[in-house]
This record gives sequence, C-alpha cells and structure tokens, in this order.
Amino acid sequence: MTLSRELLDILACPLCKNPVVADESHSCLICHACQLSYPVRDGIPVMLLDEASALAADATTEKS
Amino acid sequence: MSREFKNKVREQFGRAADGYIHDKGFATGDDLEIMVRLLKPMPDDNMLDVACGGGHTALRFSPLVRSVVASDLTMVMLKKAQEHVSEEGGVDNVTFREADAEDLPFPAGAFTLLTCRVAPHHFPDVPRALSEFHRVLRRGGRMSIVDTLLPEDPEIAEWYQTMEQMRDPTHIQAYTEATWSEMVQEAGFILHETAITSKTHDFPTWAKRAGLNRDSVAQLNKFFVDAPDKVQDFFQIETFAGEVEAYTDRKLLIYASRPPKK
Repeated sequence: MTLSRELLDILACPLCKNPVVADESHSCLICHACQLSYPVRDGIPVMLLDEASALAADATTEKS
Repeated sequence: MSREFKNKVREQFGRAADGYIHDKGFATGDDLEIMVRLLKPMPDDNMLDVACGGGHTALRFSPLVRSVVASDLTMVMLKKAQEHVSEEGGVDNVTFREADAEDLPFPAGAFTLLTCRVAPHHFPDVPRALSEFHRVLRRGGRMSIVDTLLPEDPEIAEWYQTMEQMRDPTHIQAYTEATWSEMVQEAGFILHETAITSKTHDFPTWAKRAGLNRDSVAQLNKFFVDAPDKVQDFFQIETFAGEVEAYTDRKLLIYASRPPKK
C-alpha cells in the first residue's frame, strides 16, 4: 500500500493543520510539529486525535 | 467531539453499516439530484464529502469531478463504503479518510466542492464543523448540506427530537431552516438557495437500520401511535392494525459558497 504524493498533499494534521508525512513503511502518517503519528489501516488514514500516538524518539525517520 | 460520544457513533454506525450501504433512500433520492444540479460539478473540481456514510454521494459525484475525498468517523463504515465503491467498478478517483467533521485533517483551501448529506444532526457542534468546512474550501468553493429538518411548531419539534433519540442515541439535534440559514452565514458562507424535500420511511426497515431490538421497536411503535393528531398529520404517519407502516419527514438542502477573493 502506498499513499501517493498528491493525496498526501491534501492531508494535514487535524490538530495543527500542518502537512503530514508518511513513514518509510507507509504504515503511519507523522506530524512533526505535534510529534504525533496517525495510523493507516487497510489503506485508510485514521486522522483522529484519539487514535494518534505520541512519536517515540527513535521513530522520527521519514520518507519525504 | 468527546471521546465517549465518538465511540457511541462508531458503535452505532459500525453495527448499522450494511443497512446504510444498501439503503435505496441514501443511494438515490431527490436531494442527491438537487445537489448535483445546484453544485454543477466540473471535471477540475476536488471534492470533499464529509460523513460519507455508505459512500453514495461520493459515488454519484465521482464521474463528474476530478477527485473525491470521502471522510467518516467510523472505520467500519469507511471499509464498507470502500468495498461498495470498488464493487461498482471503474471508479478510481475516490479515496477514504477517517476523520472528525469538527477537526478536519485537510489544509486550508484544499477543496473546490464540499458535500455533507444527512449527517449534521449527529454533530455535537455544528458551528465548529461549518467553520472547518469554510476553512478547507477554496475561496469561491461551493458547498451543499442536506439534513433532517426540525419542524417549526415547538410541540411537533419536541416529539420529533424525542422520537429520533429513542431510535438512535447518536442523534443530537436537528435544526429549523431559520437556524441553519443563520449558522451557515455566521460561518462566513454566502447562502444561495435552500430546498425542502420529503422522505418517506418504511417504519420496520428504518427502525431495524438503527439496530433496535424488538422491545425498542415496540416502544417506538407505541410512541408513534400515541402521537398527537397534529404530529400524525405532519409526519403522515400510516398505521395498520396498531402497527406503524410508514412516516414521512422533511430534509433541508442548503446551497452556499465561500465568498470569492475580493
């Protein structure tokens, strides 16, 4: 599963509204400003604050 | 939106997802065609369908626009909608996002078209959702909202609210046309047109879709049968041998746009 560049362009963090970036495996979307990670389930990004997890220090690698 | 309420919505619509996908009233309907006529979708439109439910609105618009992002709070509903859209075949411009209408995960001005059909009565804070709709629409972008209309008569309105909450605990509040007009303009939109359509519900199907058990259906049936005459007349309640067969409510359609750049 991949998320195209174009689709990522129209996604933002629901909290700060800044862009999110996919992690290397495309299994989650990361907001660096809020240090939050949003899961992607069955190809559907879960852009809910309740479902976001705080970014661990070692999980900040990104694929831009 | 509180976590507790959000979970309630997910539970309700996760259970009822199939019923919504296969409901003819959602798949077709006068309101959907009026939406298309007023919004005049164009091949270069990027559309957002908020609280997409079974994906019917997204599917109707998808051949007419460049792309549709369909969002909903309930993952089960999104998956069903995604399956439904892929079963239709030939649709490759609809994508799904799990999102809260009051905290949309899109940048400002990302869309030229926005729809939200028969959902706002589940939103705890409609003005907040409208302010999000305004933010994600580009200047000049068009919006159409359809929702269940609250009757003007206070007695009928009170019966209606009670009845809806008996059927579905995630029903928060329907609004009158005057309140809707005020909220839409307050959020910064230009209100162009409103339309009212009727929708007749087959009572057993409608009650079952909300996942009610037999006792709750019987209670709801009694509430309809015992309704004052003016309520019976307003909703054209049809009964046979003490069983409610059908009733008709009204939907309000709003067509508005974000003001263009000066």
